[in-house]
Amino acid sequence: MSPEPASRPLSVKMSEAVADVMFALSSPSRVRILGLLRERPYTVGELMDALEMEQSAVSHQLRVLREHNLVRATELGRQRVYALSGERVGALVDDAVEHVARLSSPSAGRRAEKRRLRRAQ
Amino acid sequence: MSDHGAAATVLEPTFAPPAERRSVLDRAHVGDIEGALGTVSSFDTGPRRSLRRRVATLLAIMGPGLVVMVADNDAGGLAVYGQAGQDYGMSLVWVLVLLAPVLFINQEMVSRLGAVTGAGHARLIVERFGRRWGTFAIGDLLALNALTLVTEFIGVTLALGFLGVGRYVAVPIAVVVLIAATLTGSFRRWERVMYLLVAASAAVVPLAIISHGHQHAHAGGLLPGVQGGLSSTSVLLIIALAGTTVAPWQLFFQQSNVVDKRITPRWLGYERIDTLIGTLVVIGGAVAVMLACAWAFTGTPLHGAYHDAGMIATGLRTNISPLAGDLFAIALLDASILGAAAVSLSSSYAVGDYFGYRHSLHRPWRQARFFHGTYAAFIAIAAIVVLIPGSPLGLITTGVQALAGILLPSATVFLLLLCNDHEILGPWVNSRRLNALAAVVVGVLVALSMTLTITTLFPTINVAHLCLIVFGALGIILATLGIVSQRTRTEAQRTAYSEWDRRNWTMPPLETLAEPRRSRVRWLALVALRGQLVIAAALLLVKLLRLAVGA
Repeated sequence: MSPEPASRPLSVKMSEAVADVMFALSSPSRVRILGLLRERPYTVGELMDALEMEQSAVSHQLRVLREHNLVRATELGRQRVYALSGERVGALVDDAVEHVARLSSPSAGRRAEKRRLRRAQ
Repeated sequence: MSDHGAAATVLEPTFAPPAERRSVLDRAHVGDIEGALGTVSSFDTGPRRSLRRRVATLLAIMGPGLVVMVADNDAGGLAVYGQAGQDYGMSLVWVLVLLAPVLFINQEMVSRLGAVTGAGHARLIVERFGRRWGTFAIGDLLALNALTLVTEFIGVTLALGFLGVGRYVAVPIAVVVLIAATLTGSFRRWERVMYLLVAASAAVVPLAIISHGHQHAHAGGLLPGVQGGLSSTSVLLIIALAGTTVAPWQLFFQQSNVVDKRITPRWLGYERIDTLIGTLVVIGGAVAVMLACAWAFTGTPLHGAYHDAGMIATGLRTNISPLAGDLFAIALLDASILGAAAVSLSSSYAVGDYFGYRHSLHRPWRQARFFHGTYAAFIAIAAIVVLIPGSPLGLITTGVQALAGILLPSATVFLLLLCNDHEILGPWVNSRRLNALAAVVVGVLVALSMTLTITTLFPTINVAHLCLIVFGALGIILATLGIVSQRTRTEAQRTAYSEWDRRNWTMPPLETLAEPRRSRVRWLALVALRGQLVIAAALLLVKLLRLAVGA
């Protein structure tokens, strides 16, 4: 899927696909999982500990994220490690966080932006 | 539209009605309602003042209730109605009349759950009663559906065999039609195909009319009673009538189909009418078949000699006219295909809902392979089982009844508990009066299905004694529940909701919900369910041991 020129309206197909990806971001626990995965890959056990969620809940949300190609699983020995499926996914989450932070408090928005710039360097 | 030249003022957003912030498990479950006969856009909040607009809205929203109900008169259903008419004349029509409110109450509750929560029955059970109950529910549902599907294909072969089409031609054609109807990713197209099948099911009406002219003897009436008195076989037939009319897959199907159709609480009034129309159509169809068979067979040697649905068609041909036989075969074929479509769809909805994969008829194959794959696999396996020579088809029919008896109690009890869960239904929880009514309905269904399970597994048991025991236990449980719920004061929970709140209330995301409240009723119901399952599992084990030793 190549990006389309901005002047033309998005095709129906493309907009449906984008809406699907945004749907995957529409649950707080999925956003929190993605938020952690921005930093490094995690196993299910690590996600459970970090987010204080049950194993079934974590697996459920990871399944949804994988179905939308936001997260990729790799076998590492006997364990499964989950990582973001691309740089873009991290940027998507960063942008969303920044947008929200800006709405709730302008200073927090600036802080989030600085953090992001620091990481990008 | 703003004028670009003028000084722009930033407008403060006003909060939109929550149709768009509804929490669903698949993005395709939000959006415009695209029914077979009309469309309602997702942001449509306008009032329906004129009759014409109301009818147009009803036509667009109608569907889940009608389809689930007509699909309920499936191959197994028609066979049992035919059997009742052939062997007992008109004397069992009252059972069907009593079943109408039972059907409506159950299906109204699931459609409400679907519209308000946006989640399927399986997911709600997992979230509110734990993973173990959820896994049990889905496992049993899938096993039961697989077996039911085989009976639908048996119906297809019986009907087409009567019409002179070989099963190796007929079954593959049915498979292709069934899969093609869902695969295109258009909810509207799927619903239109279903409506065609619903329309074809009207074949039973001319059947009843031409049979009426040929009645051999006047038999029975609407008053409760059984021709030839209550006996073990007649009690079992009454239970089978109830069992085939209220099947577990219907609960799962209508809830998911309401969600998939994108019906929100705002449209629940119309969805209730849909369910009501469906109830009337299904009971009307069942009565028509029963009457036709009563009129055709009473006073003839075939009275009391039911064999199977194919023999009913043959009997109608010889006793009435070739046309009557054909009409019954067409109705049977139609019922089997519609039943197969709905039963396998209830499986794939439940699987997607349980595992979190996309599950919507709005999605084509490419976008929801797991959903469509499950659906196609179920149909293909059932078709293969029917086509294999020497498949134990009789055992399968027995299995359906036994498994339904094990699943129906938990599905309906969970249904009732979910409908009292303030966290998920908010202003849409059951009223106290409906709870009392539904508790009796659910209790009677549970007792009937337990009786059927036990007698299916142990045919030699004394049914009269068994009924006494089961219904005695039911009476005790209902009385206890009544006393306990009288004492529990839930009114503190009840907040006053305005009409606007009610229409726009939607369940928050599942993971943000508070734990279910521990009430005595809930505890009692769960203990009773565990007891029922232990008994059922023990019975099944004994039966299997006996089979193993006997064989």
